[in-house]
Amino acid sequence: MSIPESILNYDLKNVISKNRFKGLWRLMTGYHHKYVGAALSLGLAAAAKTSTYLLLRYFVDAYFVNNNATVSLPVIALGFIGLAVFEGGFSFLSGKLAAETAEGSTKRLRDYLYDHIQHLTYSYHDKMQTGELIQRATSDVDALRRFFADQAIGVGRIIILFLINFVMILTINVKLAFISIVVVPIVVLISIWFFKRVSKAYEDYQEQDAVVSTILQENLSGVRVVKAFARQDYETNKFEKDNWKKFVLGKKLLLMHSLFWPISDIICGAQMLTGFLVGATFAINGEITVGTYLAYAGMIIWIIWPMRNLGRLIVQMSTGLVSFGRVLEIIKQVREPLDEGNVNGNTALKGAITFKNVGFKYEDGQNVLEEINFDAKPGQVIALLGSTGSGKTSLVNLLPRFYDYSAGNILLDGIELTEYPRRFLRENIGIVEQEPFLFSRTIAENITYGVNSKVSQEDIEEAARMAAVHDVITTFPKGYKTLVGEKGVTLSGGQKQRVAIARTLLKNPKILIMDDSTSAVDTETEAEIRSALNRLMENRTTFIIAHRIQSIVNADQIIVMDKGRIVQHGKHDELMQQPGIYRKIYDIQTLIEEELEKEVTRVG
Amino acid sequence: MSDEYYEEEDFETKFTGKVFRRILGLTKPHWKWVIGFLIAIAAVSSLDSFSTFLSKRIIDEGIVPQNLAAVKNILLLYGGLILVQSAFVFTFIYLAGVLGERIRYDLRRDMFKHLQNLSLSYYSRTPVGWIMSRVTSDSERVAELVTWGLLDMTWGIMNIITAMIFMFIINWQLALMVMIALPILLVVAIQFRQRILSQFREVRKMNSKITGAYNENITGVRIIKALGREPENMKEFDSLSGSMYRASYRAAWLSALFLPTVQIISAFALGAIVWVGGLQANLGFVTIGGIQAFVSYVTFMLWPIQDLARVFAEMQRSMASGERIFSLLDTDPEVKNLEGAYDPGTIYGDIEFDHVNFSYEDNNPVLIDFSLKVKRGETIALVGPTGGGKSTIVNLLCRFYEPKQGKIRINGIDYKKFSLHSIQSRVGIVLQTPHLFSGTVRENLRYGNLVASDEEIEEAAKLAGAHDFIMKFDKGYDEQVGEGGNNLSVGQKQLISLARAILAKPEIFVMDEATSSVDTLTESLIQQGMETLMINTTSFIIAHRLSTIKKANRILVIEDGRIAEIGSHAELLKKGGKYYRLYTKQFREQMEKSFNPFANDEGHQPPLPVAAD
Repeated sequence: MSIPESILNYDLKNVISKNRFKGLWRLMTGYHHKYVGAALSLGLAAAAKTSTYLLLRYFVDAYFVNNNATVSLPVIALGFIGLAVFEGGFSFLSGKLAAETAEGSTKRLRDYLYDHIQHLTYSYHDKMQTGELIQRATSDVDALRRFFADQAIGVGRIIILFLINFVMILTINVKLAFISIVVVPIVVLISIWFFKRVSKAYEDYQEQDAVVSTILQENLSGVRVVKAFARQDYETNKFEKDNWKKFVLGKKLLLMHSLFWPISDIICGAQMLTGFLVGATFAINGEITVGTYLAYAGMIIWIIWPMRNLGRLIVQMSTGLVSFGRVLEIIKQVREPLDEGNVNGNTALKGAITFKNVGFKYEDGQNVLEEINFDAKPGQVIALLGSTGSGKTSLVNLLPRFYDYSAGNILLDGIELTEYPRRFLRENIGIVEQEPFLFSRTIAENITYGVNSKVSQEDIEEAARMAAVHDVITTFPKGYKTLVGEKGVTLSGGQKQRVAIARTLLKNPKILIMDDSTSAVDTETEAEIRSALNRLMENRTTFIIAHRIQSIVNADQIIVMDKGRIVQHGKHDELMQQPGIYRKIYDIQTLIEEELEKEVTRVG
Repeated sequence: MSDEYYEEEDFETKFTGKVFRRILGLTKPHWKWVIGFLIAIAAVSSLDSFSTFLSKRIIDEGIVPQNLAAVKNILLLYGGLILVQSAFVFTFIYLAGVLGERIRYDLRRDMFKHLQNLSLSYYSRTPVGWIMSRVTSDSERVAELVTWGLLDMTWGIMNIITAMIFMFIINWQLALMVMIALPILLVVAIQFRQRILSQFREVRKMNSKITGAYNENITGVRIIKALGREPENMKEFDSLSGSMYRASYRAAWLSALFLPTVQIISAFALGAIVWVGGLQANLGFVTIGGIQAFVSYVTFMLWPIQDLARVFAEMQRSMASGERIFSLLDTDPEVKNLEGAYDPGTIYGDIEFDHVNFSYEDNNPVLIDFSLKVKRGETIALVGPTGGGKSTIVNLLCRFYEPKQGKIRINGIDYKKFSLHSIQSRVGIVLQTPHLFSGTVRENLRYGNLVASDEEIEEAAKLAGAHDFIMKFDKGYDEQVGEGGNNLSVGQKQLISLARAILAKPEIFVMDEATSSVDTLTESLIQQGMETLMINTTSFIIAHRLSTIKKANRILVIEDGRIAEIGSHAELLKKGGKYYRLYTKQFREQMEKSFNPFANDEGHQPPLPVAAD
């Protein structure tokens, strides 16, 4: 069972509409006929149910009252079975079609959101919280699914049952019909009122449930603190208080339920008995036959009792609409156009980069970079030095067009950067982060993550060897098939970084951005990483975000940044000649060694 | 995500009388409620069947003989019954519902209480998510079984029995035919339900995978963009959401098939009744009302059948839940008070580790023949590589664990003779990753001493150097710290946990210094706070900062579960061994970190941390 391409390819951008219901309808595009089919099947099933009562009327009148049967008993018996099969068949069909619609539309929506999220801009992800996004993509989407699968269909079922049976009773006797529905509006109103209140009480209950869970969670994760202060009793009391509060809230909720159902029982029961009385009077007066009374007594039940659930469904539907609004907010965001640009995707890059008076500010107008000027020749190593917030990360983030600069020009091989499609740039730029993000899949899959074509095991191992991580990987019981993360091994910072280096080596980019953070690693691995990095930088224009001078003395250019501007620029030797931050940083190294010397001799 | 994962844990439990009896036993303290709702539901279901019988009488005694008075009388009785029944409906919803809440409450309370006594070893081998699932969803399911499950079962059985009785009263031949259909209906319904249930489990499993995929997609979005992985990811997700689609679609149509199938089977019974009933009509054995009653009984037989099937299908799951709950409740704490454990009044005194061996897992020794004598009031710095055994030493000292071999003595007495509370209430601990609880700053500080006055709290905060930044919060000491203290920075959390420890006035102080960097100011504040604490306490510091190490009376280099070097800073430095290498490396790093070339005042260098003392 799979969904046709034509349906999956529908662009959900179209569901953005002022009218929420129009949007919901468009969400079902490709399934409209099925959903209508589901509604029709509901009608047919309801009609079959009503027909059962009509057959019963015939049966009773013909065999018991008048004894003028023209249809034989086996045929009538078969009729009952046939109607049941008909009814069952169509209510199944209705459920099946509705499920297909709901599940299919939901799958398409899930896919769309997934793809949408990974195409939204850096700035959007900067300000949006992970939990919030996940919540919308999962719970809110599920609320929408229930809207289509259960709620809308449920409401339709109740209304159709009501209409068909009501019309049938109308044909029997108009007066009887109207007497039979007196309380229906009352029941509907009461049930809407009740379920609105219940859903509020239920929210309180759920909130308290979350409180209880949080206390538990904090207690469990802070178990050492609890034990260290011997606060077991205190914790138990704290938990007890909120646990009890949840019990009280639950009790309140139940009191509401235990009042609603019997009260509505009484109202519906009174209506039913009134109907019985009137119907019986008619039957005794001869206005209707005994069989008709029987049919009527059966049908009236389907008019009255289901109405009690209408309120619940309507209240749930309104929360479904709220969820739709929340999902829409994501859909409304504009995607990053990955392929927009004039440069041909097959161009071979040389890697010459020029910054001319480049400036960049955030959407809120805050200046991040100002007047950045420099010229990087192909294959050069550019080191960026500066404190946190000096703008060095923002500078390199402009290259793959994660953000677009707001002033000046950046030229890549002489062509304005914005002329290049983002996808092309990102294919040609490799990034090794300070704390590389690895995915919870195998190490091999992590290494090949950036490559779209199939990679042989030899190539993977080759890359891992060059990144000096092969030996580590082979110590794991499952080798390259070892899972990374929660359900597998936890890699150290240095190991993660080397996997990321292997990943980048396989990708083989022309331009490299590297966040150098070897200080977090112990001495032996530092040397390994250093040589791995050197291999990685060969023949690529490389930008290093540096934290220590040792790693950049050989750089072709060193750019010292402060508060979004370049304050010093040159080679190591040149910078050593000038007074300034760079020399100060360098001097400290010598100072440290001197201090250490002093320290050791002092104790000695 | 992980919680959902544990919720869907597989189970192979078969129905065992023992677990079932124990689950039922949960209702014992509230047996009156159980009897109450069982009586109420039994009354409701009997009245249901009786109502149908009254409908028959309306026809046979009222309409057919054309006796309106009889109709009115019966309707009057009917109306009265509805009122009585409503009262019973109220009773059963209220009693069963509230009892359910109560049992959930009881279970959560008992589990929580028990969890407080379990040892750290339990926590180190049991994931938090697993425990959470036991306390939240399993208690839910068990409570559901003994209330609504029991109720539905009673309702279903009573309903079927009373309906059968009335059917036999009306016409025994027809009733026999219904009796034949019943077991078929039940078996089919239960089979169906079980399939539906397991299909929905599949859906939930898929759902947690989908959530995981979203999570990774969002948290890793930057690297995904950098590597241009979007199309590949989409392909993968498409197959995932495709499986989800198939699983949930299957679950949905299976559910949609359930009622119609049961309905069709009962329609055969109905057809048979019509046939036979029609034949009997001529003989006068069956009345019109009788036929109507049979039609109603058979039509509405659907609901008790459905409920029974549901309860039976869910029973297995609830039993598994019960078993897991009981396994938690039956776990014995590994570290507990020995018989005759007493409170020595103080634990400030000499501490001795006497040939202590310890391992978390049997064949993997962490501490080997460890012996150490510490004088009252001494400060011991523990240094060495991760996994060397430093944390184990302080864990044993706090008696979170006990030695596998050897003894730990405080003031010459084996500390196992003391009560756990007498030790742990006198130990002050600051962890590497400080843990705070949701609530205000003040509440978190008071955790150290529940009876502390606001003045004492402020005093402690001042000593720890936390007062100043606390006062900068909008609400000062009443500022909310967020879940796990997440509204605060790591440095702030550390200072608060220091103040918390100061407030506890510990006799033994244990600190695991944070490796994560905090700014220089916070660092010196932490330093001061620690010094305050180390007065009049015996202190064990797992040290990363040079100044701390240097201040210690003795330094222990711990490696591979043994003491590799021991002595004062000067002694060890002179030796030129492991400590020397460790120290010089750390010295360089720390100096580099503390030196900020981008500081505004040209030429001025920040004080060097090492030379400072």
